[in-house]
Amino acid sequence: MHDLKARRWANVAAIYCFLLLLSVLFMGPFVFAFLSSLKDNPTEWPPSLLVNQLRPANWAASYRLAKQGGGNGFTGGMGPGGSLEFEVTYWTSPDQEPVPPDIVIPKRVQGGAVMALRVTHWAADYVQVADLEEVRREPSADGFLTTYRFRLVNTGDVALDTVPMDLTVPMRQQFVSATLSPNRIERLGRTQSWNNVSAGLLPYVFGNYARVFRENYSVSTGRGLFLLWIRNSVFLAITRVLTTLLFASMAGYALARLDFRGKGAIFAFLLFSMMIPQQVTFISNYLVLRDGVFGLSRLFGMPTLLNTYAGLIISGLVGASSVFIMKQFFERLPASMEESARIDGASTYTVFFRIMLPLAKPPLGALTILTFQGVWNEFFWPLVVITSPADKYPLTIGLLNLQRAYGSATFDWGPILAGTFISALPVIVLFIVFQQYFVEGISFSGTKG
Amino acid sequence: MGRVSSARLREKVAPYVLLAPFLFSLIVFFGYAFARVVYFSFTEYDLFSAPRWVGLKNYLNIFRDLDFTRAMKNSLTFMLVVTTAQTIIALLLALFLNQKVRGIKFFRAAYYMPSVASSVVVTLIFIWFFQKRGVLNFLITKFKEYQAIIWLFLLIAAGINILLVAWEKLRRRPVSLFEPSFAFLGILVSFIVVFSAVRFGFLAPREVQPAEIIWFNTTKTWPDFLGSLSFSIPLGAIMIFNIWTTAPTFMLLYLAGLQDIPRELYEAAQVDGAEGWHIILHIIVPQLKPITFLVVTMGLIGTLQMFDQVAILGSQAPRSAVITLAYYIYSNLFPGSSTPRVGMASASAMFLALLTALIVYAQRRVIGGESDNA
Repeated sequence: MHDLKARRWANVAAIYCFLLLLSVLFMGPFVFAFLSSLKDNPTEWPPSLLVNQLRPANWAASYRLAKQGGGNGFTGGMGPGGSLEFEVTYWTSPDQEPVPPDIVIPKRVQGGAVMALRVTHWAADYVQVADLEEVRREPSADGFLTTYRFRLVNTGDVALDTVPMDLTVPMRQQFVSATLSPNRIERLGRTQSWNNVSAGLLPYVFGNYARVFRENYSVSTGRGLFLLWIRNSVFLAITRVLTTLLFASMAGYALARLDFRGKGAIFAFLLFSMMIPQQVTFISNYLVLRDGVFGLSRLFGMPTLLNTYAGLIISGLVGASSVFIMKQFFERLPASMEESARIDGASTYTVFFRIMLPLAKPPLGALTILTFQGVWNEFFWPLVVITSPADKYPLTIGLLNLQRAYGSATFDWGPILAGTFISALPVIVLFIVFQQYFVEGISFSGTKG
Repeated sequence: MGRVSSARLREKVAPYVLLAPFLFSLIVFFGYAFARVVYFSFTEYDLFSAPRWVGLKNYLNIFRDLDFTRAMKNSLTFMLVVTTAQTIIALLLALFLNQKVRGIKFFRAAYYMPSVASSVVVTLIFIWFFQKRGVLNFLITKFKEYQAIIWLFLLIAAGINILLVAWEKLRRRPVSLFEPSFAFLGILVSFIVVFSAVRFGFLAPREVQPAEIIWFNTTKTWPDFLGSLSFSIPLGAIMIFNIWTTAPTFMLLYLAGLQDIPRELYEAAQVDGAEGWHIILHIIVPQLKPITFLVVTMGLIGTLQMFDQVAILGSQAPRSAVITLAYYIYSNLFPGSSTPRVGMASASAMFLALLTALIVYAQRRVIGGESDNA
């Protein structure tokens, strides 16, 4: 008896071990990629899970430095007359005399030439170094640890949002630590480099995320592209959810519960359409949109529907599989539901809108989630329809654009990964909140056999 | 009289009114489109001047196009490997997750999560993952370093497991070879032994060069012994992350199917003395036939349409290594700087449609299962 109980426990433990192992397999790449999206260099070798941006000491320092500089602790900046205090520690061997670092505020901005155009005030023109002094020297393992302290002062009367800094020391004098961990260490360890010492907590931790929003702007309008892409995707998803819900339930109801000529043929045609790949019909659909649906769009002053949301919405009014899901649902409702209303002389429309539609909340919920996810993740058709300008891209096409922008010469993976996670966030949140609907959606679409 | 008939007319028209938006979609964006692509496939057309009838020329030309044959081979290999692997993995996952332990719902959700993200998100993450100095190559390096130790660990674990099972069998107790509690015990003991051996210096990881496998920018193929049947490494990488995202979706379908199997079936089988693998092979798998049919059909259709990953990889992988039928069609319609070849695109699209229909039909004959409510 005792043996059996012990064995049952061991069984459960084995199951949990295996569950955890599989979690690592399925969630691992996602989690690792997310942690790396915070890093300055997501392709460092060896890849590590120690992220400077996740160390509480750096959180406190970035908040404090921005505060001292006269900016907001969370969002950063350096106000006029602001002054911040910085400490840095180096190691030297016993036979070497430590030298104070050479401090430079470079004219540097992340994001290259496109971003340089947007800088109105360079920190290099206003920020000066003051009171550089040695504050401590203590013996360590096999040498000395020397700490220097200095202040950065904004001598101008303008607010600065970025204060980059480079410290350079002679060979063999090794960097140990600083008030805020440097973003990069270059020239065989001689130069320690900070993107922004007055970044503030959020831009410091989510540096790559901030870059995605800041560095992608439309050259013609000057507006931030990434925010526009998000807005476009939200707009498209909501519109298409609404049209799908309405039209799919109308068609599903008619196919499930009404008798009319051609019903069988329409349904057979629907099933056939579900088997044909999108890449077959898109050739004609592209032309249909180009010519404005047989010229009809000219009536609304649009010569073509390419590069318009109207085109995407009209071509995606309602999908065959959504109609199929609604038809399946309405077929399962008992006939008595509408019979009494019919006897009272209600019309088909009344029966549909007043009686049947309110009953359809569960499948409509699943359909909402499925459609939202589908539109949000859609790639092929928007790639064909929306080609320019970049302001009109939905998020998926925007991400492709982002990958090209940061992947032209050398891959700058930070912003690419950050953009990726921002775009995945809405569906992940939806998934966590409405998990049940996702599963139902799968089994709804799973009944199509 | 007039009122009554107009009301009756309204009732007669009502179904068509309700269907109107869907019919518009179906007719314009599917029926008309399909018919027109059939027509285009017999013409030469560049999107601007009028189409010119050329008969079967496009169908002959696509087979002479090296890109097309490559695309076909890539698509078919991709379809075979991914559909097989994801179906088996999904079934195994579902069998394993079909238990009543606390928190199982959380794990199901966790496994499913990667599947809700878009193909762009997943592809970008995996491109990063598969970099030359990326996480995967790092893991491979680590595996090489610890290879001997890992094998030793597995060997000891398996040994303990077999000893325990043999002991139970000797005492004539019914026990499965894969008894989880024994497996757990074996792994635990083996881990402690190997870990302390490494900790106290009896075993040390091997020094190896970091793995620098190039996953995307290469035309090398794998596995070598298959000759011309082997696939390119970039395609293999796409296969890996495709399976990774689709297997959990199909797992959910299998789970739903498993929960529909009546308990009495298991109990009857157990009374008959069936155990472990017998139950799975002879009771569960046949019961899941309709689901398997569905999973394989959806898998075949989905994998034959693979496009996104190729487009997102873009110039990072050689075109010939990853081109698929769907991408071939797209690149004929939008060839960048040269003139669009709508005829070729349409002919290959028809080929894709036909191929899909044939393969789905063939598997219907092979698996033969058809769900009852179809």
